[in-house]
Amino acid sequence: MKITLQHIDKSFGKVHANDDINLTIPSGTIQGILGENGAGKSTLMKILTGYYQADSGEILLDDMKVKITSPEDAVVRGIGMLHQDPLDFPPMKVIDNFLLGTKGGLFPNRKQVENEILRLSNEFDFQINPDAFVETMTVGERQQLEILRLLWLGVKVLILDEPTTGISANQKDKLFATLVKLASQGLTVIFVSHKLEEVEQLCNRVAVFRQGKLVGEVDPPYRTDQFVYLMFGKNVEVGEKASFCTDDTYIKLKNIGLEDYRLRLKDINLEIKSGEIIGLAGMEGSGQRLFLRMLAGLMRPVSGNIYIDGVDFTGKNYHVFQNSGVAYLPASRLEEGLIPGMTLTEHFILSEKHRELFVDQRSAMDLTEERIKTFNIKGTPVSQVEQLSGGNQQRALLALLRKRLRLILMEHPTRGLDIESAIWIWSKMKERCKDCASIVFTSSDLDEILQYSDRILVFFGGLVSPPINAKSTTVDELGQLIGGKGW
Amino acid sequence: MSIQTPAVKTSANGRKKGLLDFGIRLSAVILAFVFTSLILLLVKADPLEAYKTLVTGAFSTTSKITSVAASWVPLVIATSGLLFTFTAGLWNIGMEGQIVLGSVFAVGAFRLLDNTAMDPTLVIIIAFIAGALGGILWALLPGLMKVYGGVNEIFGGLGLNFVAKTIAIWLIFGPWKRPGVASSSGTEWIDIKYRLVNMPGTNLSLVILIIAVIVAILTAILLKGTHFGLKLKAIGKNYKAAYLLGIPTTRYFLMAFGMCGLFAGITGAILVTSKQYSLIPDAGFGYGFLGLLVAMLVNYHPIWSSIVAIFFAALTIGNTQLQYMGLSTYFAGVLQGILVLFVVLVDGLRKRLVRRM
Amino acid sequence: MFTKRSWIFVSVLMVALLVLTACAKPTAAPTAAPVEPLTVGLLLVGPANDAGWSQAHFDSMAYVQEKLPGTELLYLENVYTGSTAHTMTPSELAADMAAKGAKVVIFNSDDQKDHAIKFAQENPDVFVIHASGDTAWKEGKNYIDLPNLKNIMGRMEYGKMIAGCAAALTSQTGKIGFLGPLINDETRRFAASSYLGAKYCWENYLGKDPAELEFKVTWIGFWFNIPGVTLDPTQVADDFFNNGYDVIISSIDTTEAVTEAKKFFAEGKQVWAVPYDYSGACEGADDVCLGVEYFNWGPSYVEAIKSAMDGTWVSSFELVGPDWADINNRDTSMIGFNKGGALSAENAAFVDQFIAELGAGLNLWTGPINLQDGTPYLADGEVGTDLQVWYLPQLLEGMEGKSE
Repeated sequence: MKITLQHIDKSFGKVHANDDINLTIPSGTIQGILGENGAGKSTLMKILTGYYQADSGEILLDDMKVKITSPEDAVVRGIGMLHQDPLDFPPMKVIDNFLLGTKGGLFPNRKQVENEILRLSNEFDFQINPDAFVETMTVGERQQLEILRLLWLGVKVLILDEPTTGISANQKDKLFATLVKLASQGLTVIFVSHKLEEVEQLCNRVAVFRQGKLVGEVDPPYRTDQFVYLMFGKNVEVGEKASFCTDDTYIKLKNIGLEDYRLRLKDINLEIKSGEIIGLAGMEGSGQRLFLRMLAGLMRPVSGNIYIDGVDFTGKNYHVFQNSGVAYLPASRLEEGLIPGMTLTEHFILSEKHRELFVDQRSAMDLTEERIKTFNIKGTPVSQVEQLSGGNQQRALLALLRKRLRLILMEHPTRGLDIESAIWIWSKMKERCKDCASIVFTSSDLDEILQYSDRILVFFGGLVSPPINAKSTTVDELGQLIGGKGW
Repeated sequence: MSIQTPAVKTSANGRKKGLLDFGIRLSAVILAFVFTSLILLLVKADPLEAYKTLVTGAFSTTSKITSVAASWVPLVIATSGLLFTFTAGLWNIGMEGQIVLGSVFAVGAFRLLDNTAMDPTLVIIIAFIAGALGGILWALLPGLMKVYGGVNEIFGGLGLNFVAKTIAIWLIFGPWKRPGVASSSGTEWIDIKYRLVNMPGTNLSLVILIIAVIVAILTAILLKGTHFGLKLKAIGKNYKAAYLLGIPTTRYFLMAFGMCGLFAGITGAILVTSKQYSLIPDAGFGYGFLGLLVAMLVNYHPIWSSIVAIFFAALTIGNTQLQYMGLSTYFAGVLQGILVLFVVLVDGLRKRLVRRM
Repeated sequence: MFTKRSWIFVSVLMVALLVLTACAKPTAAPTAAPVEPLTVGLLLVGPANDAGWSQAHFDSMAYVQEKLPGTELLYLENVYTGSTAHTMTPSELAADMAAKGAKVVIFNSDDQKDHAIKFAQENPDVFVIHASGDTAWKEGKNYIDLPNLKNIMGRMEYGKMIAGCAAALTSQTGKIGFLGPLINDETRRFAASSYLGAKYCWENYLGKDPAELEFKVTWIGFWFNIPGVTLDPTQVADDFFNNGYDVIISSIDTTEAVTEAKKFFAEGKQVWAVPYDYSGACEGADDVCLGVEYFNWGPSYVEAIKSAMDGTWVSSFELVGPDWADINNRDTSMIGFNKGGALSAENAAFVDQFIAELGAGLNLWTGPINLQDGTPYLADGEVGTDLQVWYLPQLLEGMEGKSE
C-alpha cells in the first residue's frame, strides 16, 4: 500500500511535535524513520495509526484521502503497528490473544486459528506455540507473536517502533529477514529507530527527523556521518574507552545458584573489583536479570554465598544491600524506577535518608534544582516524572542515585535513548567508577557491552560463561556465545 | 520508544490541571444533583423543596447543627483513617468492621471496669484505648493477610466486616445479652457516668469535637507535610519503585492499616460513649462505608474531606426531615451514592480523555 | 436553582452556618399550655404501613384527631437501634420533635425504652408515653420516678389466648408454630399465653390429650426482619410449614406468617396463620387467616393526651384489658380479635364461646403451671398476679423453644 502524508502538523501545548511533514512511501518499501528521542517520529506514527488526530494535514492511502479515527480503524484500513511494549494480554494463551482481535462469533473456530498460527509461524521460521501463555514468552517472542497477529488480521502496512529494543541478536536477525521477506511480498514496512546501524542495514530509504521536522530523506548508499549530522545538527563523538578498575575485591560470589520458575543457574563464582564494570550479555531471559537482582538482594540465591567487602550478605534483603552502598536501576523506568504522579522534588526527598519528621520543602527544592542542572534534565522541580521524555527519565534515575555508592546495577541503562544521551549517561557512570563504584549492567547492544565493560559474562541456556576480558574479544565471538556456540 | 509529550510542564500547567480536575469533579456533582432531581420528580416530589428541607433540616436550629457536628465527628475520623490507606494505595473496605471492633473493645472495657472504684474519666480513657486497640487489631488482619498471604485487602476486608458483625451479634445474643432478653436491640447501656456529656442545649459533646478536629488536622499534617506521608504516597502510586527507592513497603503498608485501624477504633469508642451507649449489631452505623465515599469524592485530600464530610453529615441529619415530608429517609443515601457514582464515572472519563490528548 | 449551585458553595455555607450558630442560644423550652390542642410526636419502630404493630399505632392517631380535634401529628418511621434510616438516635429524634412543638411524644417500641427514659429525663416539660414499657410501674422491677412518663400496654395475654385457641382448634397436625420476635418478658408472656389458650381449647373443646399438642417457639431476634442480623421470618415460617406445623401464630410486627401461608396454600398445602397487632392484618388472606388479635390504642391515647392538655397528667402504668361486653368496640376495648375467613363456622363458635368464658372470669393463668424446666410457678389453684404474668421468667412446661 502506498502512503502519502501531506502537511501533517501536530502540537502538544507549546511543543510542535510534527511540523509540516510531507512524506511518500511506496508499496513494498522498507522505510526507515530515524531521529533522536522526541524528534517527532512516534507522534507521526501514532497519527498514522489513529491514536492521535493531526491538527492539520492529509493522509492518503493508495492516493485515496482517508481519516483514521482509531487504532482499530487503522487495522481495518490495513495499517498495523508493532509497539515497543507489545499490547498483548500476558496472562492469556497465544491463541486467545489471536481470538481476542477477531470479530468472530461467540464460538470461534479454535482449531482453524491454531492451524493458521502454526502456518504463519513456520513461514517466517518463528517458534510460536499457540498454547503457550504469553507471560512466559520473551520480549522477542512476543514481538514475533504480534507480527503474526497483525499479518493474520491482514495488514498491508506494518509499522515497527524501536523493535530491536529488548530482543536478542538472533531474534533481531530473524526479524530483519522477516521484514525483508514481507517487503518483497509487497507490504510496506515503516521502521522507526534511533539506531543508525540498523537503519543502514535494513532500510531501502530513510527519513530523518529532528525537533518535529523532517530534515532529510536519504537513499543508499548511506554515510553514517551524514545521518549523525542530520539527526543532531552537529557531529557527535563516542568517548574514549577508559577503565578505573582496581585490584580490591568488592563483591565475591561463591557457588551461587539461582532459580525462577523457568530458569536455573548453577555454581556462579565471581569476584567484582572496585571500580570495575561488568557487562552481562545474552538473549533476553537467559538469567541476566536474575543475576542482577541477586546482586541487589532482591532475589535470594538458592545456594552459595554473597560477600560484600568480605561480609556475608546471603539472605539479607534489598534494603540491607542498599544501605551498604548497592543501587539497582531497573529497565522499566516508569514501572519500577520512578513513581508516576510524583514530582522530581518528591523523588529526591524519597531517595535520601531522613531522620526528621517533617519534610523540608525549601531545601528539597534547592537540591532538586541543583540536580536538574547537574544532570541536564529537561524539567522543573515540580514536573511529574511521567511528563519527562524517556531520556530525561533515565537521567532522573541516575540523579536519584545516592552519593557514596559501591555497586551500581543497571538493566539496559541506555535502552531507547539516542546516542548523545547514551554517551552522556556513560560519562556520568564512569565518574562513579572513578569514585570506586563497581558497575554491573545488562544490555542487548553488544557494542555497548564491548565499549564500556572491563569484563563480560555471557548467559546462555542456564549457563554463565567465565568472565571474558572485553579487550580480547569481539562482537562476533560474543555473538557466537550468545547464540550457544563455543561453550 | 520516543516520548512525544512535551518534555517540560510548568507549574502553571500543573495548576491548570488542578483546576480542570476540580471543574470535572464539580460537573459530576452537578450532574448528580440533576439526576437525583429527576428521580425526585419521578416519585412526584418537589426537588427544590426536598433540598431545602435537607438543608434546613440540618442547619435550622442549634440542636440540629450540633447533631450534624455529632455526625461529622465519627465520619471525619473514619475518613481520616481511610486517607492513610488510600494514600498507600489500599482499599480498606474493612473499615466498617474495624469500627465495630472498636465498639466491641470499648464496650468490653466498660463492662470489665464497671463496678470498680476506678475514676470514670480514667475508665473512659481506658475504653478509648481499648477501642483503638480493637480497631488496630482488626485493621492489621487484612494488612497481614495482604502482605504475607497475598490476599487482596478488599476481599480480606469484606470477610472481616462480616466476621466483625457476627462477633457483635454473637455478643449481643450471647455473653453480653441483657438478663432474660435476647434482642438485637443491643447490650445494656453503659452506666451514665461513662457517657460523654453534651454541651448544654446541644446534641454534641465537646470532647469528641475536639478529638475529631485534632484527628483531621493531624491527618492533614502527617499526609501532606511529613516523610511518613510522602512515603505512603510513593507506595500508593508505585510500590515497586518505592521499594527500590529504599522504602520498607511492607512496614508502611501495615502502618497505613494501623493508622486506619486506630482511627476506626476511636470512631467505635466515640459511637459507644456519645451516641449508642451500648453494643449494637451495626455498631459502625455505616460510617466506614460513608467514609469511603467521602474520601473518593475528594480524591483523598485531607482538608477537602473534612469539608465534604460536613456536607455528608448534614445529609444524614437533614435526611430525617424528609420523612416529615413523606419522603423516604433513604433518599439521602441515594443522593450520596449517586454523587460518588458520578464522580467516579466522570473521573474515569477524564482519564480516558487525558490518555487521548 | 439549587441544583445549579455546586456543592462547594453548599459546604462553605454549611461551615459558615455551623460557625455562626455555634454560640446561638438554645431554643426556648416548651411551656405547658393546657386545654389547647397539642402537637403529638410519634416514633414508630417500623413503617407506618407495616400491617402490624406500627400501623396499629399510626392508625390510632386518626382516632385521637377525631376525638381531640386540632391535634397535630408529627411522626417518624423506622426508629430503632441501628436503623439506617436515621443517623440521630431515638431520643435525639424525639428532641427534634419537641423542638418542632410536640408536647407529647410517644415512643412505640420496647426497643426505644432506654431512649424514652433518657429523653424523659432530659426533657421534663414534654409528656412521654412509652408503649409496652414498665418504667412507670411502681411495683414493677424497673421503676424510675419520672413524673412526665407514662406507660401504656394492652393485656394482650387475652388476645394471644384467643389466637392460640383458634390455632389449636384448626390445626390438623396438632403442631403449632409460634413466630416470635426477640426474647423478653413481654414476648415470653405472650408466647405462654398463646400456649395456654391453645392447650385449653385443644383439651376442652376438642377433647384431645394436651400431650399430643406440639407448640414450638422460634425467635427471630428482633421485632421484625433486619437482614443479616435477625433470622429471616420468611425462612422461619417456611421451616414451620415444611416440618408439619400447619398453623403459625405470629408475634412479630410484620406479616410474613400470613404471606408465607398464602404461598403454601397456593401450592395446595393446608396451612393457616394468625397474624398480630393490626385489626386489618387478615385482609386479603381469607384462605389462610384464622383471625387477628389486635391492639386498639386510640382510646388510651386520647385519655393520656387529654390529661396532658387539661393538666391532669400523672405518671402511670396502664395495663388495659379488653372490654368483654364487646372486645371489638373501638371506643372501649384495647384488645380485640377479628375472625379471619379461614376460621370454620364450627371453630368460630368455639372461639366465641372461649371469649365469653374469658369474659366471665376464666383465668388461664391459674395453677398448676410449671415453667419450661419443670419448676412449679403457680401452685394448684394459685392465680397469677400481674407481676407474675408480666415477669414470667421462662416459657411453660410443654412448650418447645428458647426461654432466654
